[in-house]
Amino acid sequence: MTLAAERPTTESTTKVMTMAAALTDALDLALERDDKVVMYGEDVGVMGGVFRITTGLQGKHGKARIFDTPLTEEGIIGTAVGMCAVGYKPVVELQFGGFMYAGLDQIISHVSRYRYRSRGRWNTPMVIRFPYGGGLNLLEQHHDSPEAYLTHTPGIKVVIPSSAYDAKGLMLAAIEDPDPVVFFENIKLYRSLKEEVPTGYYTVPLGKARKVLEGDDVTIITWGAMVQTSLEAAKAAQQAGIGIDLLDLRTVSPLDLDAILESVEKTGRVVIVHEAGLTSGFGGEIAALIAEHALFSLEAPIVRVAHFDTMHSAFNPINHFSRPEPTHVADAIKKVLSS
Amino acid sequence: MPELYAPEMFQILAPDGTVNKPELVPDMETVEKLYRQMVRVRFFDDRLASLAKQNKMGTYALFGGQEASQVGSAMALKPGDYIAPMYRSTGACIAFGWEPRLAIMYWRGHPEGWRIPDHLNMLPIIIDIGAQFPHAAGVAMGLKMQGKPNVAMSWIGEGGTSQGDFHAGVNWAAATDSPAVFIIENNGWAISVPRAVQSKVDYLMRRADGYGIPGYLVDGNDVLAVHHIASKAVEDARAGKGASLIEQMTYRIRPHTTGDDPKAYRTEDEANDYITNKAPIDRVRKFMTDQKVWDEDREAALKLEVETEFAASLEAADNAPTPDPRALLEYAMVNPAPHLLRQREILEQRIKAVEHA
Ligand SMILES: Cc1ncc(C[n+]2csc(CCOP(=O)(O)OP(=O)(O)O)c2C)c(N)n1
Ligand SMILES: [Mg+2]
Repeated sequence: MTLAAERPTTESTTKVMTMAAALTDALDLALERDDKVVMYGEDVGVMGGVFRITTGLQGKHGKARIFDTPLTEEGIIGTAVGMCAVGYKPVVELQFGGFMYAGLDQIISHVSRYRYRSRGRWNTPMVIRFPYGGGLNLLEQHHDSPEAYLTHTPGIKVVIPSSAYDAKGLMLAAIEDPDPVVFFENIKLYRSLKEEVPTGYYTVPLGKARKVLEGDDVTIITWGAMVQTSLEAAKAAQQAGIGIDLLDLRTVSPLDLDAILESVEKTGRVVIVHEAGLTSGFGGEIAALIAEHALFSLEAPIVRVAHFDTMHSAFNPINHFSRPEPTHVADAIKKVLSS
Repeated sequence: MPELYAPEMFQILAPDGTVNKPELVPDMETVEKLYRQMVRVRFFDDRLASLAKQNKMGTYALFGGQEASQVGSAMALKPGDYIAPMYRSTGACIAFGWEPRLAIMYWRGHPEGWRIPDHLNMLPIIIDIGAQFPHAAGVAMGLKMQGKPNVAMSWIGEGGTSQGDFHAGVNWAAATDSPAVFIIENNGWAISVPRAVQSKVDYLMRRADGYGIPGYLVDGNDVLAVHHIASKAVEDARAGKGASLIEQMTYRIRPHTTGDDPKAYRTEDEANDYITNKAPIDRVRKFMTDQKVWDEDREAALKLEVETEFAASLEAADNAPTPDPRALLEYAMVNPAPHLLRQREILEQRIKAVEHA
């Protein structure tokens, strides 16, 4: 586990950046560093993507390195498989997580299996990145959190940063990584948080959780935008004298099981928070691992806070009832302490 | 690219309101109906655009400028026919019979607006580009199997033609001789991506050849042309002659959605040229005025009519009660599984907590 204080940096200069700016910076550095890196997707070239994450990159690196494509997710992901075979490192954008489904066959049947299927002859070291998550009242399929479809797919890494610093370092690590990585960028976090981020090249290792808060009473395990949601509830709990160990997984695959167990063994009480639907969500896997490895450390049943098992963000005025809010996390903290 | 014979773009009414195929002009009653419907849906779009600026809408996919393309095709249908719309198709849906009140509520994310009325054979609006085409093919195949005299119509953007689902749907309906009409609304842009990026072919309707069905290239801003060709395709489908593919050349004069800023990728001149020189409503008004069946009084009366209707629709939508949060867990399953019943209990607790706060 990497504590916030131990963050590796290679440069002393820093700049205050949003997560969006930190991601742009990472993509820029990757294009500069490795001429095999190419970026493509819908609207990423001229316009710089609907969330403007690739803004300015086509102007700087040219149309051969970053370009707009025909409108087909199967095509975007399928061609990335082929590009890998001739030595490229595609970093492709899907316009929203909910449109990954239109290319999911390529991810599940090919991106994840090429290496295994060819016994190592062909690799797929691509990065598939997209905005995900709720809270902005866009349209249907613009708010899904589809990580569990991917964690159930062998051979793929799944990264979901919650801060600008991590987003940049994890993106650069994902691009360096020899395995395919699906990189989730939360739409609410893109521009709502700012922090000091090194301007140079650095990586944050995949598979290492980050301790956001230290406390002895309750462990909260979460990732992505739910780190902020949980933090709000945790801070209130701390003021009431309850110690919260808040763990940001940063990557759900590979998973930092050691960090989870260390915390659970300390507190004995666990709340898992995720934006995706409850049933067969990744929280279920975490709960199972805790049951397998640390059942006798538990002082209370594990509590999961997740989205209802329904479509995400269909109904603007009432969506907040179905997705995890700080009050729901606060209720879960109370519940896990009550037994 | 191999040398291709350039298809002529089918047009009845030129942009200046002159007629170039007099024998194909329908009776003036039909012309007026098409005109009135275009004015009505365009006013709807204008008003939603301004409501969006006042933050009184959710994200909304504007269709203004494509009113001829949508009205002309939807009005070729009869009651009992089916439509499979996409996010840009609000004008077609209203012309097909969707109440403006419900359309406003839909685009505000109100569950009552999402409920499609029982009398309307309108499939859900599809956001996931391309998926509506196989749905339309399935409807058409089923109608044929039941020996029903009805057809299915669906719309897609020129960008959407790059999706595998475009092929799946058109090819399926073609191969099964199913009564489907597939319409490509070529508005030049897929958000920031120009038409040329999507395909090397000059006209997307050429793909009809590859499916073995008729393909048409139509001036999508000429409502008479659109209506003529769509009616032909619909009647062919009804007569058991199978599917057709129509490409309607139009233009997206507005931002992609209320959240988009086209200045990031195109010049305003391009849109202005279209608005000034190719506007679909103006040319019909000129034509009807020349024919002496239209004048300023009638125009003023129509304007008042659509304004009054919209005002009533908006008022009804504004007055709709805030949705009951219980709607979130309705329609998830016909027979809710136990996990959904447990979530209902959680929802009740959350509702209570808010009420007591
Ligand atoms: C499967 C899928 N991928 C991406 C998107 C995001 N998206 C919404 S509209 C759009 C462009 C569509 O252009 P076109 O098909 O020409 O239709 P238009 O919007 O011009 O009517 C894109 C890429 C989507 N809605 N669905
Ligand atoms: Mg288009």
